[in-house]
Amino acid sequence: MLRSLSLALLRFVVLVLVAGLAGATLVRVAPGFSSDEQELTPGLSSESIQAIRQARLADGNIPRFYLHYLNGLLHGNLGRSQSLNQPVRDLLRDRLPVSLRSLGFALLLAWSFGLAFAVGAFRVRSRWLVMAADSSGGALISTPAAVLALVFLMMRWPPVLAVGLLVFPKIYRYTRNLIEECLEMPHIVVARAKGVGPWRLLSWHVVPSAIPQLIALVGVSISMGLGALLPVEVFCDLPGIGQLAWTAAQSRDLPLLVNLTLVVSCLTIGAIMCCDQLRRVVGRAAA
Amino acid sequence: MKILHKIALAVLLSTALASVFARYIAPAGYEQQFRDEAQAGPSLHHPLGTDELGRDRFARLVYGMRVSLFLAPLAALLSTILAAAVGGVAGFCGGWVERIVMGATDLFLALPWLFLLITVRAVLPLNLSPMTSVIITFALLGILGWAPAARVICAGAKQVLQSDFVWGARARGCGGLRLIRVHLLPSLRPALAAQFFLSIPVFIIAEANLGALGLGVSEPLPSLGGLVCELQDFVMLRPEPWRLAPLVVLIVVIGAFQVLLSKQEVHA
Repeated sequence: MLRSLSLALLRFVVLVLVAGLAGATLVRVAPGFSSDEQELTPGLSSESIQAIRQARLADGNIPRFYLHYLNGLLHGNLGRSQSLNQPVRDLLRDRLPVSLRSLGFALLLAWSFGLAFAVGAFRVRSRWLVMAADSSGGALISTPAAVLALVFLMMRWPPVLAVGLLVFPKIYRYTRNLIEECLEMPHIVVARAKGVGPWRLLSWHVVPSAIPQLIALVGVSISMGLGALLPVEVFCDLPGIGQLAWTAAQSRDLPLLVNLTLVVSCLTIGAIMCCDQLRRVVGRAAA
Repeated sequence: MKILHKIALAVLLSTALASVFARYIAPAGYEQQFRDEAQAGPSLHHPLGTDELGRDRFARLVYGMRVSLFLAPLAALLSTILAAAVGGVAGFCGGWVERIVMGATDLFLALPWLFLLITVRAVLPLNLSPMTSVIITFALLGILGWAPAARVICAGAKQVLQSDFVWGARARGCGGLRLIRVHLLPSLRPALAAQFFLSIPVFIIAEANLGALGLGVSEPLPSLGGLVCELQDFVMLRPEPWRLAPLVVLIVVIGAFQVLLSKQEVHA
């Protein structure tokens, strides 16, 4: 148990470090890295433009930049945002709770609706309910997150609801397919043949079979939620890390981008690995 | 259900045909300006009216569909080829190669895709020509979208390599490239085709999101994402509901893909 946890922790650290390096490298090798919008400011002298270029070139050596960054990270220094001229730590301290709150609420909503509709489709067996859930889910999957964010902005509805609605159809579809798959398992077919009632069938047979996969889906849904949160924060002016990432990306703010890549990697990889461990524990207990 | 499939197929075929014959359906072209009729309402000459620059909205929609509907499959092809290479190599080699490759795939899967896409796209120069921006946008979608498919292909490759006919082929001395060409690739073709078709709507939506965030295809070339971006001026949507046409087309096209691919999604 302890060995498995230490291995998982080591894997987590390696993956997060690789993600940070990959983020920094991607930004560095992109063809527009050497250009800076500040150079277009009319009042700048040639010396100032030269200084801006030199500063950018200093960031250009990726291994040096990343090692320097990791050294700072060990001392609690996340660097300074070039575009917002503020310590990255302060920016993250202000913005991360906003995103986490929105994400938590959105996922709670998505899971409540997703599970309710999937269980409803199984329990009620109403063709109309299934059709309504399928078509609303299909429409939401077909709508770009940015458009849904605009609709919510226009209607002045809470933006986190949009994130919840974007994640809901994926949870609903997966859960429904999972329930249908479980219903075909031999022991559940026998239980149904013996006349076990639907609620008992669900709670005693379907849920124990489906729970490990649902736990895995919780981890994946955090990644899906973060992806959906980005455009919603940008359009609905929510001061979270999605909006911060957008600002950093637009102004090619390398220190901020690398930090955000690390934060997002930590959140998603950490969540997926925790769910993976939990899934194993539950699977072992069920066996 | 069969009727729904037929309707979805008809929708996709009609939009594809409209895109191919855009020149005949919308002879005005996507960049021709009718300066006397700027911001006009729908009429016989301009079925969806004109935009602020006097360009025919219907022509821009038809040409925008052409960009999105023809380049998304190319991006899907690129990502499927990458997924086949990465997943195939991991599944074929197994051992530490598989562990490293699948670790990298997990990393790609864990990072929110839109976040990664926006980060990379935003660093590209802003003064790209419209054609270059189209190519870069869809190439990025293809390059960054291989991970989910690679996992499926790796699992498929491992399954095929454990099957009786592959053992038989190996026993007869068939190995290496010949095994891949003669046995592995033909067996993986259905999975590759499913991944290719599943990627198309995902890439159309991703382009729409990028376009709405102002990082998609550059003006004056239209794409569904670029046209959706115009919805940001939502004060005008109530008096001019025809502005919603690109969004309606986008939802209908993606919905049609969803209907046609629902079974493949379950099996993939």
